[in-house]
Order: sequence, then C-alpha cells, then structure tokens
Amino acid sequence: MVDVRNVTFSYTRKTDLLSNLSLKLEAGHIHGLLGKNGEGKSTLLKLISGLDFPKAGSIETLGFNPVKRYPQMLREIFFLPEELPQFTLSIKNYEKVYAPFYPHFSSEQFNNHLKEFEIENKKLMLNKLSFGQKKKVFVAFGLATNTKLLLMDEPTNGLDIPSKGQFRRMVASGLNDDRCLIISTHQVRDLDSLIDSITVMEGHEIVFNESIEGITKKLLFKVYDKNEKDETVIHSEETLRGYYQVRENITGEESKLDIELLFNAIIKDKNRIKQLFTA
Amino acid sequence: MNTIFDINRLGLLLKRFFLENKQRELTFWGLATLFFILMHLSGSKDDSSTYVTLIFIAGFIFAAKMFKIFNYTPGGMHYLLIPATHLEKLITAILLSTVYFIAMIVITHVIGTTLGTTIGNLHRGTNNPIYFELLQSASGYSIYITFGTTLLNTIILFAAFQSVFMLGSIYFNRNAVGKTILAIIVVLMLLVYISAFLSNTIIGIHSVGSQSHTINLPSSENSYGVDEIIFTIIKYAFTPFLWIVSYFRLTEKQV
Repeated sequence: MVDVRNVTFSYTRKTDLLSNLSLKLEAGHIHGLLGKNGEGKSTLLKLISGLDFPKAGSIETLGFNPVKRYPQMLREIFFLPEELPQFTLSIKNYEKVYAPFYPHFSSEQFNNHLKEFEIENKKLMLNKLSFGQKKKVFVAFGLATNTKLLLMDEPTNGLDIPSKGQFRRMVASGLNDDRCLIISTHQVRDLDSLIDSITVMEGHEIVFNESIEGITKKLLFKVYDKNEKDETVIHSEETLRGYYQVRENITGEESKLDIELLFNAIIKDKNRIKQLFTA
Repeated sequence: MNTIFDINRLGLLLKRFFLENKQRELTFWGLATLFFILMHLSGSKDDSSTYVTLIFIAGFIFAAKMFKIFNYTPGGMHYLLIPATHLEKLITAILLSTVYFIAMIVITHVIGTTLGTTIGNLHRGTNNPIYFELLQSASGYSIYITFGTTLLNTIILFAAFQSVFMLGSIYFNRNAVGKTILAIIVVLMLLVYISAFLSNTIIGIHSVGSQSHTINLPSSENSYGVDEIIFTIIKYAFTPFLWIVSYFRLTEKQV
C-alpha cells in the first residue's frame, strides 16, 4: 500500500531531515508513527501523500508515484493535518463541496461520527468552531470518506479526554482489510490499544517498525517491586507501583504492551532493540 | 476514469469556489453594483478610462487571490490534495479570473447603470438615456502602448495581465499582489536596460528615453512588417504561455 524506498528529503540544502529512509506499510492495519518533535513524522506523511517531493529515493502510494498527484490516487487518500485549514463554510456545505470528490464517502457514517462526537447541528460554521470541535468534524469526515489510505497527523491534539476515547473507538471501527491508517503522534498514550503496528522515527530515520504481536513476543512489559538489573532488562522506569521494566521475553510470557515505555526504551537503546528484532 | 480532464471534477471545483466564497463574492459584486448606481445617480456622463483602470486593478487583485490558499500551509495542503488534476484546478482559476470576472463586471455595470440612471431620472425629473460607458470606454482603452482599440484587444490585454498575476499567486506564497507588482517592475527595468545595451552596442545610441531617435531600416515593398508579426505573436501567445508556466508551477508546488 505504501512503499518508501531509500528516501532522502531536506527543506534546506545543508541538512537532511530524512536520510535514506525505507518503510513498507500494508493495508488492514493501523500504523502508529511515533517520534519526538522535529523527527520528520509530518514530513513523511506529506511525502507519502505527494505534498512534498523526495530529493532522492522513491515512494509508491497505492501503486502511484505520489509526486504526480493523480486524482485516482488522491480520491483514495485523506490527510488530516495537525493544523487545520480555515473554511468559511458550514459543516453541511463542507460535506456538500468535498464529499463528491470521494467516491466511497458515506453521509450516514459522517452523521453517525458527528453524533458520537456530540456535534448534531450541521449548520454550524467551521470557522466558528473551537479547534477541538473542528478536529472532530475533520476526523469524522476523514473516516467517512472510506479512502484506502487515511493519514492522521497528531489527531488527538486538541481533543478532550472523553473525545480521545471516542476517537479511538471510531478509528478502530473504521478499519477494514482494504484500508490502511497511519497515525503520527508524539502523544503515544493516546494510541494505546488502537494501533497494531509501531514505527518509531529517531535521528531522522526509522529505527523500529514492528507489529504489536511481534513486539509482545520478543519483549516483556512488567512491574517489579525491585529494580532488578539482570541482562534481560532493556529499560526501567520508577513508578508509584514499583519499577516498570521492558525486558527480553525469554520465557514467552504474555504481557500488555506499554507504548510509552517501549518508545522510551527505543530512544534509550535503539541498537539493542534493533539487534533483538533482527535476530 | 479520465486522468487528464474531467468536466464533472471541473464543475465540482467551480462549485467549491462559489460555496466557499459566497459571502465575499456577494459583498464584492454588491459593492460593484452600488458603485455603478452611485456613479449614475447624478446624471453626469463620464466617459473617461477611470472605470476601466479601476476594473483592471480590481481584476489583478482578483487574479492574485486565486491561489491565496497557499498563503496558509494547511490551506495549501488541503487544496493540493483535492482529488482533481492540476489542469482542472488551473482551468478553474482561469475561468474564474477571466470569464467569470469580466461577465460579472458587465452584469453589475449594466444593472448599476440602468438602476442609477433610472433612479436619477425619476428623482430629478430628467430623461437621460441609459448609456453603458464602460463598454464604450473599454473599446477605446489603451494602456500607454498602442495595443489596439477594440473591446477584444482590451480583453486580451486584461487576460494577459490576469495571467501574470495568477502566475504570481502560484509562485509567491505570501503577499502575492505586492511581490508580483515588484517582479513586473524588475522585469520591465531589465527589458529597458537590455534594449539600451543593445542600442548602444549595435547602433551606438547611448541614452534611454531622454531623446527620441529615428532609425531608418531598409524596407521592401512586400514586407508586411516583421515587427507587426512579432507583436501579433506576442499578443496572442503571451497569455497562454503564462498559463502553461502556471500549470507547471502548480505541478511542482510543495507545501
């Protein structure tokens, strides 16, 4: 669905923001793209959708070269940016203008999602809505487009706590075997129990790209009373309940993935994690 | 699916423009009508080119705002990701900045003049005829150079300027109007200096503009006039050329 091959990109001539980056993302998954601020997550999404052009390497999105921005590709992509565009349109008119561009758009789904977000009046003007409410409208619209590729850049920014839960439920229900969702965020907890694949960007490159299933097979996430430091411990954090650790899963024990802990472990010792997963 | 041009997508893009800018368009054309009404209330006839000059300026600003969406990155991202070809997006902009703009000017002028003259006549008890001076003055309008005195030539000149400003609005992300005017000035100055340099090198004339020089070139009887041919080519090719440049600029646009 998305195939990024040895892509290099920079906004300035001196330093590369992305260097020789490769990544393959398949349909039927919700991919979490994680990384600190300024690592190039948004840029990667822009490259995938054809908003920016790689300096070197190539990208294939839905079988197309995104640089060409062909309508048959664009009608199967919906990109929800972190910062939303300004429209002097009502929600109803926004739907009237943009829905016809997306052949699989479902008005029923859009209404249901809006209802779930407690936005029932479609006559509301988009420019009069708060940032959070506007975000809800665009999330609802994006999911209702039923595009094959849905890119979301920091979608939970601006959403209140109940809305984050609603967002997770909606996104999970919007996935099917033909659809690929890529969610970029630095608020890793917001994606808890939503994503089924994790991609981490660090130092302007992809340092980790694994399925949740694969992660829990190889890593163990557990709270320990003592800060035991045997050779299987990769990362440890002190919490009120004890020491929360990431360890090599040598016993095959099942545990619940903690994205934040994994992310911190990768940032701390990416080489060890890489070695573990390439072995 | 047509990958180059689809009339339905063009229709959707036009619909998008009108729905998104409904308020602004109604205000602008309402004010234009009011302007024409007020101009004719007094009954005085002004056949100067002031109207046309104002309309030209309004038209340039209108064209320069065609791609103002690129002023704001999220807006530009949203626009580039609309599932339509670059050609359809450009044709929409051309149709709006030329055909639509000229049609609306004519409509508001006719309505405003008719209403203004009629109200003025009723108010003063006069019987002034309804006279559409814009169409008259436009047909005799020329900017500095002898471009021609027909309405068609005025429209061609208008479209040429529009295409410059439209290209400017794609090229420059912010303050497109000002930057385009600046670019025009720079290009014109360059042309003046290049011509001065060529005159100096080839013929040996040093000054530019302060003195007029007549150069007699050998002529043949059946020469239609190379300069006329070149001028005609430029006249008809300039606007399409800039539209093509705009198209390629749009395809290369990154946000």
